[in-house]
Amino acid sequence: MTLKEELRFIDLTARMALRADASTLVLGYVWWVLEPILYVAVFYLVFAVILDSPRADFLSFLIIGKLPFQWFSGGLNSCAMSISGAQALIGNTSIPKSLLVFSKLQQVTYKQVAVFALMAIYLVTQGSQLSLSWLWVLLVALAQYFFTATFAILGAVAVCYARDFARLIQMFTIFMMFTSGIFWDVRVLGPEMQALIFAFNPLAFLLDSYRQVLLYNGAIDVARLMLLIGAFSGLCAILMIFVRRNETRIALRVLSR
Amino acid sequence: MRGVDDDVLLSLEGVSFSYPVSAGLFTRYKIPVASDLSFSLTRGDRLGIVGLNGEGKSTLLRLIAGVIEPDAGEIVRKKNVSIALLALGVGFNPFLTGRDNAILSAVLMGRDQDWAQLQLTKIRSFSELGDAFDRPVRTYSAGMRARLGFSVAFNMEVDVLLIDEVLAVGDANFRAKAALALNQKLGKGQTMVLVSHSSSEIKRVCNRAIWLSKGCIQEVGDPDDVISAYEVFT
Repeated sequence: MTLKEELRFIDLTARMALRADASTLVLGYVWWVLEPILYVAVFYLVFAVILDSPRADFLSFLIIGKLPFQWFSGGLNSCAMSISGAQALIGNTSIPKSLLVFSKLQQVTYKQVAVFALMAIYLVTQGSQLSLSWLWVLLVALAQYFFTATFAILGAVAVCYARDFARLIQMFTIFMMFTSGIFWDVRVLGPEMQALIFAFNPLAFLLDSYRQVLLYNGAIDVARLMLLIGAFSGLCAILMIFVRRNETRIALRVLSR
Repeated sequence: MRGVDDDVLLSLEGVSFSYPVSAGLFTRYKIPVASDLSFSLTRGDRLGIVGLNGEGKSTLLRLIAGVIEPDAGEIVRKKNVSIALLALGVGFNPFLTGRDNAILSAVLMGRDQDWAQLQLTKIRSFSELGDAFDRPVRTYSAGMRARLGFSVAFNMEVDVLLIDEVLAVGDANFRAKAALALNQKLGKGQTMVLVSHSSSEIKRVCNRAIWLSKGCIQEVGDPDDVISAYEVFT
């Protein structure tokens, strides 16, 4: 397959799966935005109403943290079984395994486009000004895509070798949810701790960058962002090469269960 | 992988394979399913494979297709030769229409999306699904699903077609139609490896046969001779 054919494959299989998924639900595509709204509502109820968060802009703060995080957690969890769950397909075709991962990730990404649109509409209704500086979000999103894809491939391959990793992936996403500053602000920490978290948890940096652009009209650390894009696109490429070189070994792992 | 000469599309040389099975953290064992297999396939060959269940027939097809690799020995394929398993309903999603599934299945079997779109009229006609072609596959009977799967898979144009027990699909009329279509394909020189429990089918369709037992070749040669030996054994 050429790169163009692979991209078309990912797009087609993702769109078909989303269409099929929507057809199984009464509200169909409405769930693309309803699900994140309900997630935010639950978090808002707990942290703003019950725990009485002191932030005046807590809802906007929460939305800009939680909704991009859903892209990461949804991507990781749905990609976890993308190879090992495709036993029949793998047993009968020589389809590149990495395409199965990217197809799943693309499904989550298409949903995320709708979620980002919803997020933008909400912010505008809250008085935020649409501006060209919002385009920085595209760069942050690109970094998040590669970051998510790297862990998605790693997770999907690991699950082929031991299903136990699927549970670890769930635990990992919960860990990331609590350590990425979704319902608490990394910037209220001291500079040393803040630097430490940004250094060891790129997702915390990315969520903070979304907020800097969309909520505070602040500057983002472009150099660090470019470094993340370079590092994770590189890691992603290395993992894809590893998968390509081990196609039949991975297939055997899946088929011999 | 080195190529092979002339009309030899692929050859197996001393191929052995075992399925690794993991039973806990430290317990691993292997189930041998192919042992020292050697044969070749030339253009236009129609090779039948017979054997009891669990004797390694489907694994052999997967080895030939390149889905898995042998533990020992070598499978040499001619350069650029296309090999595909005729698998019914690969990647079918019951919540998509027959049309969508036809495209999806063709793409999953390695075909281009544009090519799949061009085949839709032929697939719809061959499958005899009529208006049901645009209904979700979950509303189909087992026979309708099999007809759609067969129509998609059979349209794949490959050098070596690997068929695993899928010719007996649909009702009697469709089976006759499928058999006729297969004969037409074979008449045009289609190379094929057919796994079947039906001795009569192997005799009717194939020009060579292999009897596989416990992963080893027990008999190879003329289908009548191989089937006779196999039937005496069973």
